[in-house]
Amino acid sequence: MEEIKRPAGVGKVFSRRRFLQVGVSGAGTVLGLSYIGLGLDFLQPPPLGAEPLQTVGKTADFPENMPKPVTYSGQGVKEGVYVVNLGQGNWLALDFHCTHLQCAVNWVAAVGKFMCPCHGGVYDIRGQVLSGPPPKALPRRVIKIIGDSVQVGGILA
Amino acid sequence: MINWLDERLHVRELTASLFEHPVSKRSNVLDYLGFATFYVFCSQAVTGILLATVYRPTASGAYDSIKQLQGEPVGAFVRSLHSWGANFMVVLLVLHLLRVFYEGAYKKPRELTWLLGSVLLIATLGLAFTGYLLPWDQEGYWATTVGTAMPSHIPWIGDYLVRLLRDGTQVTGATLTRFYSVHMLILPALLLLAFLPHFFFVLRQGMASGDELAKAQKRGKCVDGDSLPFWPDVAVRMILFVLLIGAALWLLAALYPKSLGAPADPLNKSQYVPEPAWYFFGVYQLLKYFPGKLDVLAMVVLPFAGGILLFALPWLDRNPARSVRKRPLALSLAGVLVAGMVFLTYQGMNSVPKALASAGVVVHPGFKENVEPIFQSKCITCHGTSGGYGLDNYTAVMKKNVVPGNPDQSKLIRKLEGSDKPQMPIGQPPLTSDQIQTIRNWIKDGAKNN
Repeated sequence: MEEIKRPAGVGKVFSRRRFLQVGVSGAGTVLGLSYIGLGLDFLQPPPLGAEPLQTVGKTADFPENMPKPVTYSGQGVKEGVYVVNLGQGNWLALDFHCTHLQCAVNWVAAVGKFMCPCHGGVYDIRGQVLSGPPPKALPRRVIKIIGDSVQVGGILA
Repeated sequence: MINWLDERLHVRELTASLFEHPVSKRSNVLDYLGFATFYVFCSQAVTGILLATVYRPTASGAYDSIKQLQGEPVGAFVRSLHSWGANFMVVLLVLHLLRVFYEGAYKKPRELTWLLGSVLLIATLGLAFTGYLLPWDQEGYWATTVGTAMPSHIPWIGDYLVRLLRDGTQVTGATLTRFYSVHMLILPALLLLAFLPHFFFVLRQGMASGDELAKAQKRGKCVDGDSLPFWPDVAVRMILFVLLIGAALWLLAALYPKSLGAPADPLNKSQYVPEPAWYFFGVYQLLKYFPGKLDVLAMVVLPFAGGILLFALPWLDRNPARSVRKRPLALSLAGVLVAGMVFLTYQGMNSVPKALASAGVVVHPGFKENVEPIFQSKCITCHGTSGGYGLDNYTAVMKKNVVPGNPDQSKLIRKLEGSDKPQMPIGQPPLTSDQIQTIRNWIKDGAKNN
C-alpha cells in the first residue's frame, strides 16, 4: 500500500506552526501586559502617611482645646492642617477639608466647633461629625511631639 | 495631480465612495451636528497646541504663564476660543446624541457606532474636567478638589480612587502634572482612537436617514426624486453649517472673553465656595436633593446607572422600530430624562450666589432686588432647603425671626448684629453694616415681598 505523504508537521501533537502561533501570541501578550504594568506603576499614588514630617511650631504655641490652623508644604501647595492640643499629651492633626465636598472648614471658637461654610457641616473638636451632610470625620494626619517641637506629616488611612 | 495619485493609490475609487452617494431629502441640518462637533474638536486641537507652547504645567508656574498670556490680545483670544470651544463641543455632542437617539439611529446595524460615540462623550467630558484645573486659579482648583472627591463615596475602593485621581491625598502640583498629561495626551489619543472607527462606520453604513433609499435602490427603484447627491448639494450645506458654527464660536470668544480669576489658594483664605462648570451643574444640583447618607445615590449609583444606560442602549432597547410613533416608551423616558437634566442645570445655575447688586445702604429696599441677594450669597449655604430656618425664599424667611415694621424686635437682625450670640454668619466675617442696614430698612418698610 502506498503511504500518504503528509506535509511536514501535520498530525503531530504540537506542530511547528502551532508552536509559532502560540509563541508569537504569547510573547506579544507578555510585551503588551508589560506596557500596561509600567502604566499602572506610574499611576500608583504615593502610600498614605508617607510624606515627611515638618515642624509647624512649638508646643507652647498651641493652647489646650484651641485648634490652630497651620500649613504643611505639600507638592507646590500649602496644605491646611488644624493642630489640636487636647491636653495631657494628647494631640491631633486634622486635615481642614470638609468630607462632604471638600470646602475648607473653620474653627468657630464661639461655639467650640468646626463649621463648613458650604453646606453647613459641623464637627466637634476631634473632627467627629456632629451634624450636616459630611459622611465621615475630618481626616487625621500624622502628628509627633519631639521635645517641644510639633511635627505634622501626611494623612492617615 | 488626481491622475498621478489615482495611478498609485486608486484614489478615485475612494473619493467616489465618499462623495458619490445619494442623500435622502428627509435629511436636514441636524444630521450635520456630528460633523460640526468634529470641526470644533479640530479647533480645540489647534488652540490647545498653541496654548501648550506657552503654558508651564507646574503649581508655581501655571497661573503666571496664563496671566502673562492674558496680557497679550492674541493670546487672550486663543485662550477664549479654547474655553468657548469646550462649551461648544459639549453642547454639539449632546445635541448630536439626542438627534441620533430621536432618529433611532443607534439600532441595528449601528450599535458599534453608538458605543464609540459614548466613548467620545465620556472622553470629551473628561477633557472638559481636566482642562478646568490647568489655569491653576481658584475656580479650577476648588472645582477639581470637589470633583475628584466624589468617588470617595464608592464603598471600599473610594478613597483609593481619590488618591489615584489626585496622585496623593490632596490636589497638589502632582495632580496638576497628572491632569496635564491626561488632558494633553491620554484623552486626545483616546478620542482619536474612538473617532476613527466611528467615522469609518458612518462612511461604510451611510446615515440612518438613507436606509430607505438604499433599500429602494436595491429593489431597482430610481431614487433621484427623493434624494440629493451628496456632492455637491449636501456637502456644501454641511460646510456652510460648519462655517456658521465657526463664526459663532469666534464671535462669542471675542465678545465674551474668558477671564482669569484669582490664583489657586489651597488654604482658601478668601472662603471661596466651589462651583463646577455649567455642564456639571445638573449633577451638582442633584446632590443638594440627597441628604447625608444618600449622597452615595447621587454621586455613585446614578452616574453609574447613567453610564450603563448610555453604553448599553442599543442592547437595552430591543424595539426594532425606528419611527418616532412606534417608540413611545423610549422617547418619553428620554424626554423625562432630558427635561429633568435641563431643569436641574437651570436650578443649579440659578442657585449660585448672585453678585451683590450695589454697595451702600438702600433706603427703601425691595426683597427680590436688594435683600434676597444678600441671603443668597451669605446665608443659604447653611440656611437653605436642608431644614431649620430657611433663607432661600420669602415664605421661609417670614416663618419666624422677622417682625415686620420692627427691626429691633426681629431675631434675624439681632443674630446678624451679634447682640444674640453666636453672631451670624457663623464662622465667617459678619455682614457689612451697609448690608445689615439695608435689611433693617426692608423690615422697617413692612418686610414685604416686593
